[in-house]
Amino acid sequence: MSSTDRRTRPPMCSSTVSRNIRSSGEPIATPWWRGTFGSRHSTCSAGAVSDKPALFISQDDHVAVLHRLIGELGNGPVFLSGISFGGLIALHYAIEYRRRLSGLVPMSCFAELSPQLLLLGNALRMGLILGGTGYLQDLPLPMNLSDQWLKPLLDKLDSVKRQRWLVNDLYALQNLMESFLDFKPLTPQLSSITVPTMIVNGEFDFLTPRALHETLRVHISNSSLVIIPRAYHAFTLEKAALTADLLARFAEDVLAGRWQGNRAVWIAPEDAGRALTPFPAGYDHLRAIPVPEAPE
Amino acid sequence: MNELYGPLDSEGRVPPLQQTRIAAFLISAHGALARQSAFTLPTKLESAWQTELNAQLFRETEIVSLLMRATSWAPDPGLGYMTVAWESAWFPAPVYEISDWPLAVAAGLATLAHAVHAGIRPATLLPAEANPEDPFAMALRRIEFESGRLLQAQILSLKGPDFVPFRDAVNSALERRHAEVRRLWRDMLQSVGIAIRE
Repeated sequence: MSSTDRRTRPPMCSSTVSRNIRSSGEPIATPWWRGTFGSRHSTCSAGAVSDKPALFISQDDHVAVLHRLIGELGNGPVFLSGISFGGLIALHYAIEYRRRLSGLVPMSCFAELSPQLLLLGNALRMGLILGGTGYLQDLPLPMNLSDQWLKPLLDKLDSVKRQRWLVNDLYALQNLMESFLDFKPLTPQLSSITVPTMIVNGEFDFLTPRALHETLRVHISNSSLVIIPRAYHAFTLEKAALTADLLARFAEDVLAGRWQGNRAVWIAPEDAGRALTPFPAGYDHLRAIPVPEAPE
Repeated sequence: MNELYGPLDSEGRVPPLQQTRIAAFLISAHGALARQSAFTLPTKLESAWQTELNAQLFRETEIVSLLMRATSWAPDPGLGYMTVAWESAWFPAPVYEISDWPLAVAAGLATLAHAVHAGIRPATLLPAEANPEDPFAMALRRIEFESGRLLQAQILSLKGPDFVPFRDAVNSALERRHAEVRRLWRDMLQSVGIAIRE
């Protein structure tokens, strides 16, 4: 991976269900894709003015919407990124339309439901049912963002949450969550993804921890795993500049023919523009303490 | 046209004419759901899901009672013809593609309830500076919150096994109901100077 001239950017299409948070009309965090890429952004039908289906929406529907969106970009190279549920849709897309993509960036993502994730997903859905959108905001916010990010914003969180509450209809959120109830693991199909793939995971991601990203790294041959230090599930919000920089470098390396996935594991820098570090050889990147790798 | 209720008075309350129209609309819609739930509810429950029907009846009744008491009513000559239009829109509309008549009627009621509970979000139009101690504002927040919970019964039944063979018909009926309810809600709001973004 390298840092090169970023005056011209390749198209980057992102798929996400968590939208940029604003307070009193002012952005708290600039969307990571803005100003960096020629971009299209899909929000998996959770948006306020979208034509949200009242009752049914499937993951295939999301992939179809994404395909139409990508069609708008013309015939040039397309890099697709997605975070969380959006990352899953990006994986689906890469499996179905592998020739259309130049690169893929699943972030805070999963290809199969671990027991923890299954139970967490069920609990979040039940929380939405019983406590409404407000509860669904209250619980994941401290799970997905660091103290450093939250502390200076504590007195603004009500207005932050109000903006999201206004534009997210409960039934649309629930339809989205229910589209994952009949989730079928993608792991058996991951090996069909041959495009350059940069898998990005926050160091402290509680919802989708390292082991879930490891499934992607092991099965996607041309992939690398990049760990964002001190980051949680929503690192695109908290570390927007770093995320944009990493994606730009990835796209440039791919287009310049420099990208070599090699299923390598990297540690991202703390700030944008600095070098990535290979994960120390001999240590297990799935552990939170420096334990030597177990022999194969 | 405003995008939210208001302008608020000096104590942060919604103007009485707006309160009157909003409350009348919500009473009409939730009252219709209460009546139709009452007619559908058997005297002796035979199935577990019917316990939800009983809960729906009393939650809808609670909403009507709450609005009657929390609203600052104002004389409104325009309410007469508007109420007639609203009430006629809530008439039962069975899903005719379903040959089992009681099931078709139940589907029609569920689509109306889904549209009212999901499509109308009365608290989102309260300005952030609205007085949180005002009973009307509190009532709207409570109605929106309860609507979210009541919605579960409609989601469960409309996605349930009884309607799987009629998925397209149910979906079409639901989208029609949503469009109709949203249009009535939007028109009512426009009549008191509030334009909501579509």
